[in-house]
Amino acid sequence: MAIQVSGITKRFNEFTALDSVDLEVKSGELLALLGPSGSGKTTLLRIMAGLESPDGGGLLLNGEEALGLKPRDRQVGFVFQHYALFRHMTVFDNVAFGLKVRPRGERPGSAEIKRRVTELLELVQLSPFAGRYPAQLSGGQRQRVALARALAIEPKVLLLDEPFGALDAKVRKELRRWLRKLHDDIHITSVFVTHDQEEALELADRVVVMNQGRIEQIGTPAEVYDHPASAFVYEFLGQVNRFDCTVEGGIARVGDGALAIPAQGGVQGPAVAYVRPHDLGVTPASAGPARISGIHVVGPDARIDIDLAGLSLEAEMDRERLATLGIAAGDRCAIHIDRARVFAR
Amino acid sequence: MPADTSITAPASIPVPTGRSALTEPGWVRALLIGGALLFLALFLLLPLVAVFAEALRRGFGAYWLALTEPDAVAAIELTLIVAAISVPANLLFGVAASWCVAKFDFRGKNLLITLIDLPFSVSPVISGLIYVLLFGMNGLFGSYLRDMGVQIIFAVPGLVLATIFVTFPFVARELIPLMQEQGSDEEEAALVLGASGWQTFWRVTVPNIKWGLLYGVLLCNARAMGEFGAVSVVSGHIRGETNTMPLHVEILYNEYNFVAAFAVASLLAMLALVTLVVKTALEWRFGDELAASRH
Repeated sequence: MAIQVSGITKRFNEFTALDSVDLEVKSGELLALLGPSGSGKTTLLRIMAGLESPDGGGLLLNGEEALGLKPRDRQVGFVFQHYALFRHMTVFDNVAFGLKVRPRGERPGSAEIKRRVTELLELVQLSPFAGRYPAQLSGGQRQRVALARALAIEPKVLLLDEPFGALDAKVRKELRRWLRKLHDDIHITSVFVTHDQEEALELADRVVVMNQGRIEQIGTPAEVYDHPASAFVYEFLGQVNRFDCTVEGGIARVGDGALAIPAQGGVQGPAVAYVRPHDLGVTPASAGPARISGIHVVGPDARIDIDLAGLSLEAEMDRERLATLGIAAGDRCAIHIDRARVFAR
Repeated sequence: MPADTSITAPASIPVPTGRSALTEPGWVRALLIGGALLFLALFLLLPLVAVFAEALRRGFGAYWLALTEPDAVAAIELTLIVAAISVPANLLFGVAASWCVAKFDFRGKNLLITLIDLPFSVSPVISGLIYVLLFGMNGLFGSYLRDMGVQIIFAVPGLVLATIFVTFPFVARELIPLMQEQGSDEEEAALVLGASGWQTFWRVTVPNIKWGLLYGVLLCNARAMGEFGAVSVVSGHIRGETNTMPLHVEILYNEYNFVAAFAVASLLAMLALVTLVVKTALEWRFGDELAASRH
């Protein structure tokens, strides 16, 4: 089911959470709403579900006007960041809830409910836990129950609000992979909210980058990472070295000429230049302009802090490369930039 | 490789004994606990024992006679009726008010919370007086009620109203922090899954608050049966008609009929003891639930 958001605006007292947002979610895609806290992404998701109503704008679910519909009539499944499992019901009853509260005419018989719930519990690999209570489950298990519960009502859209935010790193990675596989199997239109750019880039078919109630860019993970539309997107998606500079004649001079970065797109005047740590190359040079102030080895990667003409830079490379370079803290070096972006300030 | 790699233990390692840094020394603990028990004994146990001692002073026969005397029976019945109306009424109001306050934001929410706490800050005598001023002969609605032939003050309706007012906060004050702490996530989940408002309330909200609800009802009931000040003002003290148990005790005592007074008082004392026991049991059970529900 496709979702069409047009000009949605939402204010909470003085604070504008969403400022005339337009978005189209294609049927069957896995879309990420990515942004920092306060960007409006959760508000947008809740408006889609019917848990909030906007102050202006329109929402179409499958081509039909949806703003007038109550949450129960929208056929959406919602997964909360803190699971929101019914604490006094067993796992089985939690998953069966959506089926049990259907109106008389639509409610399946108890044998049918049992069959469906069992099937779903197998899907989320929690069949032995059917009789347990939520308090007896781990975080990852609870989230899987929440997912099964949302899927039980056979929704046309799945909405997930920072679904892995409350879990630890390893469980998060596992569930990410698992969600992707689930989506590949059942192809349900899914929208998930996250502030973790790695999660968005890994999972989504398309990423919507949001900031302060507006959409900064929509594109595939590769598009938004390689061709960011604005300084915000560039900074948000991954690590950056950031330099305030002035562009003259198409060249951005940084640190009194220590670095010269070509500026594309006809940018002139005050600007900000970005270089990703991975795109900053380091070569040992005894008379080089830069000095290595520190080397940190973090797992398989090495991060190198560099001082250049009063600027602090950070370069990143894998440990093998670091070993072949043979540099140490305190050495002088030369740097070269493989890739950079310049935006007007 | 050294010949002997075993570690020989010293003869004995002195392990530091004594209390942890977080407890008081023995004598301080004894003093504090002893002091608390002494206070309780003097101000709670002693009066309680005195009530039963005085009630049974002339033997069980006199005790029983005092309780089965028609005016006493009427007082007991009236207390039960008043409680039977006030407690369910406040249960409904309390749940509704807590539901509003905990799950929604609306204009006037703070005013509502203040109003809920009002009966606690108002003297019980004033609580009764306001009804006399409203519905009494010379009150705001006095002449209107007289024309309608409706008697509120110095009759049972007045007693019920005064009791409702005085016991209003108990259920709400118990439920509001509980429901606020539980949040609305589960209710939102239920709504999105297709439940109607009623279904959400019965299947999701009520099971989550049931222990707090029982606790609030228990306190409400204890106060409803034992209320004196407010009820005294609106009652008119008509024997056999508008006297609840506390008022009846006062009348008996003022007539120097001590045994009978203490006999009826002993019933109230027993109610207090039962309430205390059930309250403690609920606290113990409810405390577990609350701890488990904090995820």
